[in-house]
Amino acid sequence: MIMSTKNNRILAPEGGRYPFKVSDEYFDSLTARIMEQIDSVEQEISEKNEEVPAQSTKLFDIHKNRRRNLWISTISIAASLVLIATVALKFIPMPSSTPVEQQKAETNVQYTPENYNEDLMNYTMVDNVDVYYYLSSEDFGE
Amino acid sequence: MAKIDEQDILKRIQDPQSKRRAFEEIVNVYSRQLYWKIHYVVQNHDDTDDVLQNTFIKAWRGLDNFKGDSAIFTWLYRIAYNESITFLKQRKQMTSIDDEDFVEQANFVADEYFDGDNTQELLMQAVSTLPAKQKQVFCMKYFEDKKYEEISDLVGTSVGALKASYHIAVEKITNFIKSKE
Repeated sequence: MIMSTKNNRILAPEGGRYPFKVSDEYFDSLTARIMEQIDSVEQEISEKNEEVPAQSTKLFDIHKNRRRNLWISTISIAASLVLIATVALKFIPMPSSTPVEQQKAETNVQYTPENYNEDLMNYTMVDNVDVYYYLSSEDFGE
Repeated sequence: MAKIDEQDILKRIQDPQSKRRAFEEIVNVYSRQLYWKIHYVVQNHDDTDDVLQNTFIKAWRGLDNFKGDSAIFTWLYRIAYNESITFLKQRKQMTSIDDEDFVEQANFVADEYFDGDNTQELLMQAVSTLPAKQKQVFCMKYFEDKKYEEISDLVGTSVGALKASYHIAVEKITNFIKSKE
């Protein structure tokens, strides 16, 4: 099988015999042992399958009901809100304009030279007397 | 090796009534061949026995998915090879030493299933230093004298790659044996 290294060849070109042996009895009983193993594995699986569906169906139902109830509640709330909003829009009289809009309208007054001066004087808290006094003072004349 | 009618077996596998009996025939016909293919990788009887049983259990569980795209033995061989690799990884983790150290301690003479002399033990020690795929290729070529085309069908590797793999394996074995002389 292995040739001399002197010939620079270690392995026999024709190959060799695999140097292990196993008794025939081992192979004779092998199929039966493997099938036994397979049967026990199958039995384990079927036992697990029998246990698991009973629990899982129950759990599944609980989860399913919870999920369904949650959906129903959500949809009911959403529908109620839409209904209330619709009724409110139809039957509650809405003011023509909101206070903010009114305020905006007030501030959008068109100024003329007269009312501008009045507003200005009100704002600075001076009246016509003060203005005349100021204009006729000596300081202003100088 | 006893031959089985693959088409007939495939039909019987589909039928729940005849499935178990058909699989039993598969085990009966292919277990011996498969045993040695696994042994080439794990190189120990007890481990080979474990891997072989796992292989058939996996095959049984995956039987419904087997549609006969490959030969039954090819399908079984690939499961066996994957199981062997998984086993080697687990063994490596358990021993927590690298492969090289593990190989150095391999003692085939102490193995009651070893049936060879010192030179054959040296050869097997050299073989055990090879990576799993090279072990397979080397053993199938050297011990079984299989054609590259046959090995190629089985392992799913090109003939060219197999030739290269075998060549490298021979070189490694030669160097190993020379280093021990």
